[in-house]
Amino acid sequence: MRAFPSFKTSRLFATATLLSLFLGCSNMTPEKTLYQRLGSAEGVANITELFILEIARDERVIAYFEDSNVQRFREKFIEHLCMITDGPCEYSGDTMVDIHVGMNVTEGAFTAIVEDLIEAMTKADVAIGTQNQVLDRLARLRPEIIYL
Amino acid sequence: MQVYLKIVVTSILLLSSLAIADTRIKGTGGVSSISGSGGGGIIPWATLGGLATQDQSSMTGFISRADVDDFTLDVKGLAVNLNNRVEFSLARQDFTIKANDAQISQNKYGLKVKVAGDLIFGQLPQVSVGIEGNSLRDPETARAVGARDDDGIDVYVSAAKAWIDGPFHRTSMLNLNVRSTRANQFGLLGYGGDDQDRQLMIEAAAAMFVTRSLAIGIEYRQKADNLSALIEEDASDVFIAWFPNKHLSLTAAYVRLGDIAGAPNQNGFYFSLQGAL
Repeated sequence: MRAFPSFKTSRLFATATLLSLFLGCSNMTPEKTLYQRLGSAEGVANITELFILEIARDERVIAYFEDSNVQRFREKFIEHLCMITDGPCEYSGDTMVDIHVGMNVTEGAFTAIVEDLIEAMTKADVAIGTQNQVLDRLARLRPEIIYL
Repeated sequence: MQVYLKIVVTSILLLSSLAIADTRIKGTGGVSSISGSGGGGIIPWATLGGLATQDQSSMTGFISRADVDDFTLDVKGLAVNLNNRVEFSLARQDFTIKANDAQISQNKYGLKVKVAGDLIFGQLPQVSVGIEGNSLRDPETARAVGARDDDGIDVYVSAAKAWIDGPFHRTSMLNLNVRSTRANQFGLLGYGGDDQDRQLMIEAAAAMFVTRSLAIGIEYRQKADNLSALIEEDASDVFIAWFPNKHLSLTAAYVRLGDIAGAPNQNGFYFSLQGAL
């Protein structure tokens, strides 16, 4: 029996420790995905419901939704929000451009929708830092939505 | 005074043709700077005042006061933002020397045009170009200390970029200005001097929304030292701005103005109240 590990073993051990420091920190305490921080399926469904309620009473944007099917919007928005926050979903709806072309969504209407989503997430007790990560990802879609 | 009145009247007429514009995200119009133009406190930013989008116009009015060791500066003014593209601003600055209650006043007129980009969306920062006209109403002091002129023109280029998901996942903004100026102490001591004349100066600001209604930040304004008789130093501040709603903001700051007219280390508090339509 050896009193100390061999040079080879200790080097291996050191390499493994270093590797785990570089790669493993997040594995030891796995960071939740954005989707999980929204409360996973239940959370995303709840936010979507609150979002629809905010839109329904928002005179600035309600006209844009006159011809939309609420059930379909709910379904597709849940999918989209789930996918965009790294959840286990595939968005199966139309492209952002296809949906918004001809609607001439103004810059102001887009902001109004952003505010409605902030309000929905706030009511769902989503932390402001998590809200900002969601908004940042959705904001990238802006060129595919406004003035089409 | 006549020009001042004319601009006020024109602005009110312009306003009467505007609907209330509040369709940008709260706080993204910034507050009113001491020149009247939208920005922070001691410097303008690339942002235009108010919350108008490209389909709208807006107007801001403000009152501010800086109270440092030996001086106070009272400012009031307004700005009109047309389609978030062009901003006209004017301000009246009344500077008081506490020791003898003497006052120096000047009028500021500003035009700022957004030339590219967007503060929040897209890759490009929002870039604006501005002109500030300054006319000193009490030029005796300026002449006594060796300033060349009573009035002067500043030209600046400003770039600002905000990140929705910035440091600490907080919405944050950086602003950088390059200003061509001849001003001595913001123009209160006239324009141009025996040591130096027109120069390029750097100005910068950083801000962060801690909550949706509360922003904190810092500003820096490089200032020229044109007069051989006096020392002029750079200015800086740390601020906190509260946006209870889209039409009101209250800013408090601690400002460091350095040496002013022979009085060193002029530090103190700055408060500003802005209303926006």
